[in-house]
Amino acid sequence: MIRPILHRVAQAVLVALMVGVLTFALMRSLPGDMAWRVAAGRYGYDITDAAVMEQVRHSLALDQPAALALLSWFGDLLRLDLGVSLISELPVVDEIAHQLGASVTLALTALLLSVLIGPPLGVLAGLRPGGGLDRALFALSITLRALPQFVIGLLLIYGLAIVFGLLPASGHGEAGHVVLPALTLAIGLAAVSSRVARDATVAVTSSGYYRFGETKGLRPLENFLRHGLRNIAVPIVTYLGVQLVYLIEGVVVVETLFAWPGIGHALVHAILARDVPMIQGTALVMGLMFVLLNAGVDVVCGGLDPRRRAS
Amino acid sequence: MIRPSRGQWAGVALLLLLALFALGVPQLIPGDPTRQSLSNALLPPGGPFPLGTDAFGRDMVLRLAAAIRLSLGIALLTTALAGVIGVALGVLAGACGGWVDRALCGVADTLLALPGLLLVLLLVAIAPGQFWPLYLGVSLVLWVEYFRMTRAAALRIAASPAVEASRLLGFGPVYRFRRHYWPELAPITLTVGAFGSATSVMSVAALGFVNVGVRPPTPELGQMMIELMPYYNEAPLILAQPILVVFLLVLALNLIAGGKTQ
Amino acid sequence: MTAFQRLRFGAALGVCLAAALITSPTVRAATAGKPDDRALTIVARWELKNADPSVNGYAFTRMEVAETLVDADGNGTPKPGLAEGWEASADGRTWRFRLRPGVSFHDGTALTADHVVTALNHARAKPGSLSKAPIQAITADNGAVVIQLAEPFSPLLSFLADSASQILAPASYDDKGNVTQVIGTGPYRVAEFKPPQHLVVTRYDSYWGGPASIAKATYLATHRSETRTVMVESGDAQIVFNLDPASVQRLSRNPKLTVQAVPIPRVISVKVNAGHPLLSDLRARQALSLAIDRTGIAVGILRQPETAATQLFPPSLGAWHTPGLPPLTQNVDRAKALLAEMGWKPGSDGVLEKDGKRLRLTLRTYPDRPELPPVATALADQWRAIGVDVSIAIGHFSDILSGHQDGSLELGLIARSLAVAPDPLGTLMQDFGPKGGDWGAMNWSNPALTEAIDRILRSQQAEESAAAKRTVGTILHQELPVIPVVWYTQTAAVSKTLKGFEIDPFERSYLLSRLRWVE
Repeated sequence: MIRPILHRVAQAVLVALMVGVLTFALMRSLPGDMAWRVAAGRYGYDITDAAVMEQVRHSLALDQPAALALLSWFGDLLRLDLGVSLISELPVVDEIAHQLGASVTLALTALLLSVLIGPPLGVLAGLRPGGGLDRALFALSITLRALPQFVIGLLLIYGLAIVFGLLPASGHGEAGHVVLPALTLAIGLAAVSSRVARDATVAVTSSGYYRFGETKGLRPLENFLRHGLRNIAVPIVTYLGVQLVYLIEGVVVVETLFAWPGIGHALVHAILARDVPMIQGTALVMGLMFVLLNAGVDVVCGGLDPRRRAS
Repeated sequence: MIRPSRGQWAGVALLLLLALFALGVPQLIPGDPTRQSLSNALLPPGGPFPLGTDAFGRDMVLRLAAAIRLSLGIALLTTALAGVIGVALGVLAGACGGWVDRALCGVADTLLALPGLLLVLLLVAIAPGQFWPLYLGVSLVLWVEYFRMTRAAALRIAASPAVEASRLLGFGPVYRFRRHYWPELAPITLTVGAFGSATSVMSVAALGFVNVGVRPPTPELGQMMIELMPYYNEAPLILAQPILVVFLLVLALNLIAGGKTQ
Repeated sequence: MTAFQRLRFGAALGVCLAAALITSPTVRAATAGKPDDRALTIVARWELKNADPSVNGYAFTRMEVAETLVDADGNGTPKPGLAEGWEASADGRTWRFRLRPGVSFHDGTALTADHVVTALNHARAKPGSLSKAPIQAITADNGAVVIQLAEPFSPLLSFLADSASQILAPASYDDKGNVTQVIGTGPYRVAEFKPPQHLVVTRYDSYWGGPASIAKATYLATHRSETRTVMVESGDAQIVFNLDPASVQRLSRNPKLTVQAVPIPRVISVKVNAGHPLLSDLRARQALSLAIDRTGIAVGILRQPETAATQLFPPSLGAWHTPGLPPLTQNVDRAKALLAEMGWKPGSDGVLEKDGKRLRLTLRTYPDRPELPPVATALADQWRAIGVDVSIAIGHFSDILSGHQDGSLELGLIARSLAVAPDPLGTLMQDFGPKGGDWGAMNWSNPALTEAIDRILRSQQAEESAAAKRTVGTILHQELPVIPVVWYTQTAAVSKTLKGFEIDPFERSYLLSRLRWVE
């Protein structure tokens, strides 16, 4: 039990190191004078001019050597201090908590909705491969996967918000606001997770142990619950775990469409404005989340499938 | 090799049709896809403009053809780049095992942990308006999938008696790769490649949607959608075109992948 | 968990979510409550950053949280704000502002002259209008605020009306002078401030002008115009600003909405490097200007024919707009003739050549204003028609500013606000001073223009100042250090459940306190 934990801790440290160095190096190699970008990011195009830029350059101590700046970032990191955003001059931790928090809320809601839609349908289709439901689901899944996310989003907005007025179209702040963007993401996810579930179901039900369960006289439902469900769940959990990470960073399109504050949007702006602390902080937190999530998937899969714990 | 299914044939046919359209249009219809004519804005399909015009009076048929060439070009290049790197390293890791395997897996894991979006955004910011950051960024995200699939297969193959026998008989690594690894890896590579291309088409369109990546007036499918979106009520048939093209492209690639899941 | 438990857990979750889906409209209806307590939602594209007035001050004056010493009316003329009135000394160097009695901040503190002095001194130390005024000292004297100038400076009142000069309570600042929270004197107080999207304000009942009618309002920054229009169509928002041209037509047909459009003092123009070997010749600048189809751009891209610029200053700018000037129009033949006169001859592909060199220029622009890239493409297209090969570089707007500084800029397409403070003079002295300006003339200056601007700065008589303003307009029109293309119009769609809505052409305020719900 110790080894996997050590492994994950080592991975986390590695991720922190690499994220720090890589984002720092990339940011420094971006073209254009950083002071201009920061001044522009802070004051916008109506106020920014050469005088404002000089003032910003002075206050930021941008002439400090790059190696020193990187070292001091790692130093602050050891004290769990992510620094202050160059643009808003607010602590990076607070900004990430607000914006990444919003993305995570959205991604988790989407994941939950997709679990309710995708896998149950997939399992039903997988129990009778080649049947009507299986074929219909395959066609639906391949169609939905080929539709860009924002097209699904727009269709939902027009259908549910404008024509029927059931849900708020976009915005952030009330509980209802999360439904449409989450549903948009969930539909895309369910299109894939239903196929994963279907394939897993086919594999399990055609396996020897499952057939044996049938021959030894278990009723179909009993056999499915006792021998099928657990085995089907493993690939689904693995798939969803990986997807959650992609989801958190991949929601930028949906965020823009639904006016949902989120980390994708924040990243685009931070890079434009050369907000180095914000970018490093975000990359670090997201990298660590990935490690944590993989550890979580390991634990859940181990719980579902005791054979994995042994190996 | 496994015989292609009907779905896969359909996918290949669809993709060929799209490519034919993209390459054939400039031969048949002369003109510049960025040429504006504000007095001809948003003309419906038909007449002098077979597929109508966009809000700046640019010919949609030329723009769509150029955009497909761009999307397919990026998809092919990134998939090829990611495929070569991913397969090579995957075989290396699987066949060598030991510390080589551990080191490569470590690199792949850490790269996976880096937010892909951040990577692409940073690269694009280094050289705004150019294509190479897009190729590199998308490839960097895609190669890991190749690596993991090939490595898993290579591990299995390396342990097989046939490879053992080849090695004992003194056959070199090139022979072993061609004789034992590639026949098994080829279908996997094809599947991952088709998925990867689909991902690439979608990613570039999504980046265009948030105004990152290809710069206007270069025709790009995501950007065309976002430019035309305000006119959904006035010119729905024009807006539908880039959406339909992305749909068909991704559909074709998914069909080629055999409708399997990743 | 056993399999059965897991199934039941899933089912329970499903029921919960389904319930949430079904009840959410009813919940929304319930929170709406009595008509008088309804919350108002305003959507515009400007994102919020922090509480610093020099960065985000406009958001707080627009939402009527903070106020300025001097206010401005719909024409940009100064009118009393937190100052009830003012007098200038005969030499124009000492200004004395009498404070309005009975004003209190949202934390209950009564407004005093000392508070105003502190707030203005903080504002002076930061970027913004006030930092550019020749202020020697700001002091409190016997309940009044006295501003001592180094020289007469007529736009002072307008600079004091800039949102960056807003007056905040002492508790707003930390010990370094940074604003940590906005405690103003306006009819609304901050209830929730969550950058980059949210600002919620509630009515301040002890407002000196009497309490407002609408109890609560939310500002929501939304980048995409499609999303904004959807929100006002679905009823999620009552007021939406910055509509895209296509939506204006659609929304005006919506029976539940009214659409308003008001010209604002912002101009899309081409900043020209007059130090460039080609562009230093006035004939080249004239040729570029004559090649532009302004009506085509106004109709085709902005869909507002009346925005085609006939000169730099739009008619809404009063005395600055000079009626007698010959309007800027398209004349392709004249443009070609001017370039031919300079010795440029068409090459094989139509692009002009001289001494074996092709006529190539680069136009820089930025996407922050979504209409700029399409206008740039249209311009490149129209210039190509007279044989000038212009390539477009869409980048960050700071590329134009740094290009001005290092001299690498050739042409820049910009959307310049002529009135960051209500009086355009502040912008003009910055843009067309003797050394040019980052957002204005480049390697170009004109002694007569400098002198005219100086005269307006010192003038205390409307007649003299109006004559000098006409001189400024005429010189800029003839010399074309920047080539005007189109003026701007601010558009908004408003729900018919509201009455009293108006657009402030200077974008200083959303005028919330004048709004009320229709019974």
